[in-house]
Amino acid sequence: MASRGNRMEASMAPEATLQSEVLKALRFPIAVGDILRKRLVLKKELLKQTNLVPTRIAILGGSTTTEVKSMLELFLLAQGIEPAFYESGYNRYAEDVEFENPDLWNFKPNIVFLHTTWHNISEFPELLEAEVEVERRVRREMARFESLWEKIHAELGALIIQNNFDLPRLRPLGNLEASESFGSVNFVLRLNAEFAGYARSHSRFLINDILYLSVQVGQAAWFRNSYWYNFHMALSPTATVSLAHNLAAIVKSVYGKSKKCLVLDLDNTLWGGVIGDDGLHNLILGKDHPVGEAFLDFQRYVKGLKRRGVILAVCSKNDAENAKEGFSHPDSVLKLEDFSAFKANWNPKPETIREIATELNIGLDSIVFIDDNPAERALVAEQLPEVAVPNVGSDVSGFAEVLEHERFFEVDKVVQDDLSRSAYYSSNAQRSTCQARFSNYEEFLASLEMTAEIGAFLPVYLERITQLINKTNQFNLTTRRYTSGEVEAIAQDPAFITLYGRLADKFGDNGLVSVLIGQVSDETIQLDLWLMSCRVLKREMEFAMFDALVERCQARGISKIVGVYIPSKKNSMVAGHYASLGFSPMGGASEGRELWCYHVPPTYSPRTRYIRRTAEALLAAASAESASVPSEV
Amino acid sequence: MPMTHDEFLLQMDEILDLPAGTLRGHERLEELPNWDSTSLITFIALAETNYDVYVSPGQIVTCSTVADLLRLAQSESSSS
Repeated sequence: MASRGNRMEASMAPEATLQSEVLKALRFPIAVGDILRKRLVLKKELLKQTNLVPTRIAILGGSTTTEVKSMLELFLLAQGIEPAFYESGYNRYAEDVEFENPDLWNFKPNIVFLHTTWHNISEFPELLEAEVEVERRVRREMARFESLWEKIHAELGALIIQNNFDLPRLRPLGNLEASESFGSVNFVLRLNAEFAGYARSHSRFLINDILYLSVQVGQAAWFRNSYWYNFHMALSPTATVSLAHNLAAIVKSVYGKSKKCLVLDLDNTLWGGVIGDDGLHNLILGKDHPVGEAFLDFQRYVKGLKRRGVILAVCSKNDAENAKEGFSHPDSVLKLEDFSAFKANWNPKPETIREIATELNIGLDSIVFIDDNPAERALVAEQLPEVAVPNVGSDVSGFAEVLEHERFFEVDKVVQDDLSRSAYYSSNAQRSTCQARFSNYEEFLASLEMTAEIGAFLPVYLERITQLINKTNQFNLTTRRYTSGEVEAIAQDPAFITLYGRLADKFGDNGLVSVLIGQVSDETIQLDLWLMSCRVLKREMEFAMFDALVERCQARGISKIVGVYIPSKKNSMVAGHYASLGFSPMGGASEGRELWCYHVPPTYSPRTRYIRRTAEALLAAASAESASVPSEV
Repeated sequence: MPMTHDEFLLQMDEILDLPAGTLRGHERLEELPNWDSTSLITFIALAETNYDVYVSPGQIVTCSTVADLLRLAQSESSSS
């Protein structure tokens, strides 16, 4: 927040855009009645968005799923994802898979959502049943579900999102249901532990934690007899909204659309008081004060987000030195070095947030902004509609709860690149400083001492590759999206040449930053996908990738590389990409699709001047290549 | 406070995706294009929210017009 005399009245903020108003209905605190009532209006408005990412979701239900579909559609559209749906008949979730319902098979889902609840547990233990028999029931139930999951993975190649189980409505044994091995609560928790174990050991399998959701919504509101007996809805309309919101967050994370960066105000957001007026020692922070403890807990929550890869930045109206001093408070859990960007000045916050996005090289749509001041929130929301500005109120004790409910930073997996992301963005600032010391750009590139690991897709990188494929918009020649199942299938298909690229320099590891997929037919390869993270623009990483591609083409006797460029609203930066690599325009182009051709020469001079390819990568790539190429090639 | 007749009609306009002020009350439910199982469940959920009453699908089936729906919600409200 600003100093006390600089507070802007919320009522002075201009009207928010229609789009923001529409989205507001789907944000915390969610007004279930409004969403139910305005469902059709909301859908119509949300469908006006452009650049929606299409996906195909099969909902296989153990109960009625019409409402689930309807609500899920809204929340997905709000995330920029446009779903097409397949719905099983009532309680036909198992039969549809077991008997290979042709409608489902022809639908070719990207995602299969198994909407089962405790009603679909086929056998609960008998009273006083021996523990060993209860275990057998657990195994049988697991075997039943595992056979479905394995068939879906093997034959449909889809990502699976599986509900765990909520708790039965009634407890005839009272509290013993939780403690006795034959108790229903105990049994459900055993099954949930098994489901979780399966999720840990299988990729492309995610749990939708409805046990947590039912606790959050409250058991009485989660399940209602009236909806069950009249419609066989296992969830009330209120619970259905909560389920859909949670599911959409999972799908969003699968498509790499979760937020990356949390931009924070300081005064009365990370500590109580105004540091410029009150001074360091009068800040309210720490266990000695009830409000101070709430600020401390919020700082701990933010630190936790940072630890798992969320980038932190400060946007504060303050003198910079005053603002920095706040982090020397003895009770401050957050330290200056936790922030990848730090902006304390008197400029309008939308302007400062733009600077942060530029400095960190991330899109505004990757940012969540937290400020206790409603006027500042309104201004940012109005001027930067891409930035998520949750209505956190002014009471710090609720800030973390709002962030949690919004599911901004949902992840489908924590990968090593996520953990080091914050370090990367901090070291990027050092790169910028370093760049300023050189008289020309080539000298700067040489000084970075860059090394690249480039190879065929490896299982360990598939999660990150999928993440990158589904979120990269700018340096992306075709903007084609692939599910993790499709990526895995392509990685194993010898008809494709795949390349991933990691780039490191003397300041740190940039992680996996580039992906290329080409389909081979005789002596020609067509590049279906080529993308690169904007983290490493102008570092010649695209040259290193091209060198690696040419080497592979030479090794496989491929003489012609066809580059595809599909212009979008966001990828104009790569319009000249193929021309810059020496490709020539070729026939066969259509509206909205350009084709470029490159004839692989017998001797090729690498384009890369400043990136050294690591020997380990070359070996790993060669071994993966030989494993995926049939012997006759 | 229970909603008025006009407020109810405006909510039904929204549920059925009609321009505000379209419904007058006399419209027959079976002739409304978006009156389906989803809007029926929505009506039940809103009756709970707005009137704190549960209206069963069996009771709704006896309603012919939009005004009948309002009368049903109000009568259940007064009898509860």
